[in-house]
Amino acid sequence: MTRDHKHAALVRGAPGQRVLGRASWVGLLAVAVILLAGGAVGAAILHLQHSDTAARLLAGLPDEVAADPALLRFATIQARPLFAAHCASCHGENMKGNPRIGAPDLTDAIWLYGDGSVYGIERTILYGIRSGRSKAHNVTDMPAFGQRGMLSDGEIRELVQYLLKLNGHPYEGEAAEEGRALYYGKPDCGDCHGGDARGDSDYGAPDLTVNVWNNGGDPQSLYDSLYFGRHRIMPAWIGTLSLEQIRALAVYIYAMSHRSEALRVGHAQAVASAMGEP
Amino acid sequence: MPPTVAAQRPAAWKAVLGRLARPPQRSAALPACGVALGLAVAAVGLFRPAPRAVVAVPAGYVALVNQKGILMSDFIAQTQSETGSAFSEATPAERARVLHEMIDEELLVQRALVLDLPETTTEVRDIMASGVNAQVDAPLGAVVPTDAQLRAFYESHRAKYTTGGSMTLHDLVLHIGGYENADQTLAQAETDAADAVYQLRSGSSIDYVKEHFGFVDSGRVDDTEQLDFAAKLHLGAKLYEAASILADGEISEPIVDSDGVHVLVMQRRRPPRIADFAVARNQIYSDYRDAENRRARQQNLKILRSEAQILLAPGQSE
Repeated sequence: MTRDHKHAALVRGAPGQRVLGRASWVGLLAVAVILLAGGAVGAAILHLQHSDTAARLLAGLPDEVAADPALLRFATIQARPLFAAHCASCHGENMKGNPRIGAPDLTDAIWLYGDGSVYGIERTILYGIRSGRSKAHNVTDMPAFGQRGMLSDGEIRELVQYLLKLNGHPYEGEAAEEGRALYYGKPDCGDCHGGDARGDSDYGAPDLTVNVWNNGGDPQSLYDSLYFGRHRIMPAWIGTLSLEQIRALAVYIYAMSHRSEALRVGHAQAVASAMGEP
Repeated sequence: MPPTVAAQRPAAWKAVLGRLARPPQRSAALPACGVALGLAVAAVGLFRPAPRAVVAVPAGYVALVNQKGILMSDFIAQTQSETGSAFSEATPAERARVLHEMIDEELLVQRALVLDLPETTTEVRDIMASGVNAQVDAPLGAVVPTDAQLRAFYESHRAKYTTGGSMTLHDLVLHIGGYENADQTLAQAETDAADAVYQLRSGSSIDYVKEHFGFVDSGRVDDTEQLDFAAKLHLGAKLYEAASILADGEISEPIVDSDGVHVLVMQRRRPPRIADFAVARNQIYSDYRDAENRRARQQNLKILRSEAQILLAPGQSE
């Protein structure tokens, strides 16, 4: 068969083969157009719904959002990939933090700065910690008592024993007593951490009594914190992420850190979804 | 029957009309469509009203000031800061006042940009430059130096870590010229001063030298202990240089200065000493941090320069 004959067969159909008529082609075309139009309308509706929910996510006061199950669900869906892309490298995929770099556990409802409200978390994401922006958290930092020669090696070891005692770990009694005297003495730890060692979230000074340590709570890590000081930073995400994304992340982190509370108020599904649970 | 008007047209017109009446060729039709479309777009662009400004405040903002948003988060933070209580406890009047202030501030900032204050006002330029440097410094704060790095820094900057010296001395001067010393020449004064130095080194008292040669206290220092920087300030660089190398009880050679010939009698000298690493480590730590920040800022400027187009006028250099 020559090329012309093949072409003709394709157009007309091979001998004995049934060929679609013109009306059938028109019908098929009409169905395709209808399907496409339906898809477009559906996508438009979904887009509008998304836009509406996104607007509602930002429209209210930050702490009101977490009380709305629909918004909580929307925020967690938006935030999960964002967290994986921008936050997990420091805080971990499971949000449990990384003591090696001082990245805190975001699930324990214990906050270095602020009170753990959506507003407080959002504020930290917006402007960061010691990010070089004046709106960032940057009141003070942990001095390098050893490196600056403000405390001797022995004094630091005594303070470590006192911290172990405060947190219910085995400690050396006499050294812990010396450490306690030091706490209120030369370095004046209470100036930031408080006379009761419960910390001060205005300064970003951690509670030293709850056995939660961003940089590790073993004796060597505690020694290093006292000797080298701590000056951790977190970038400001304003300008990099949209306000909607930042709000979604704040709500998501809030939900993760208040999981039991969220469950109690009926957000179980959203939280379970956010945790990747069936 | 008279001929029609059309029939009276010249033959040339007939030819033109005939060409127009013919269907256009493809090569001419497409450009013509393009031109028509372009004109239509231009007309729409020219005559339609300018796009209207956004009139609704976007979600996440509390106000728009000339299209510039004031963040809700900033409003909450400012309200809490000013009222000293939670945002939810702030009264409507308090919130309104804070918002009013924030809008005022935004207006002033925008006005500052219109007035090009970064170009014309030193303080604005300084704070902008400092803001950029703060951004450069920020990540360095998290990098903790090791003791070895601090010690290496100390070793390479030892002269910087000196304890301040001090001195207690007499500064005697034999004035030249003036009403009381009109007959005194420089040569005679130098000779007398050399004799005085000899007498002092032989054990004569300062009072004897004053009485015998006519020396007086210069008044530049008293008989109290002076820190080195203060002694240098009071004595002047030339006399300080001579004084700083004298030990306790030593007498300087005669020194000619603007007001006469001086002789310095050192009573007590504590020379500056280089501080041990352990003593100076607090300062070393701060200096190391500062040096790292300076290095990062220089690096940042190097990058900015590499990306910038900088032209200097003829004859200028930097």
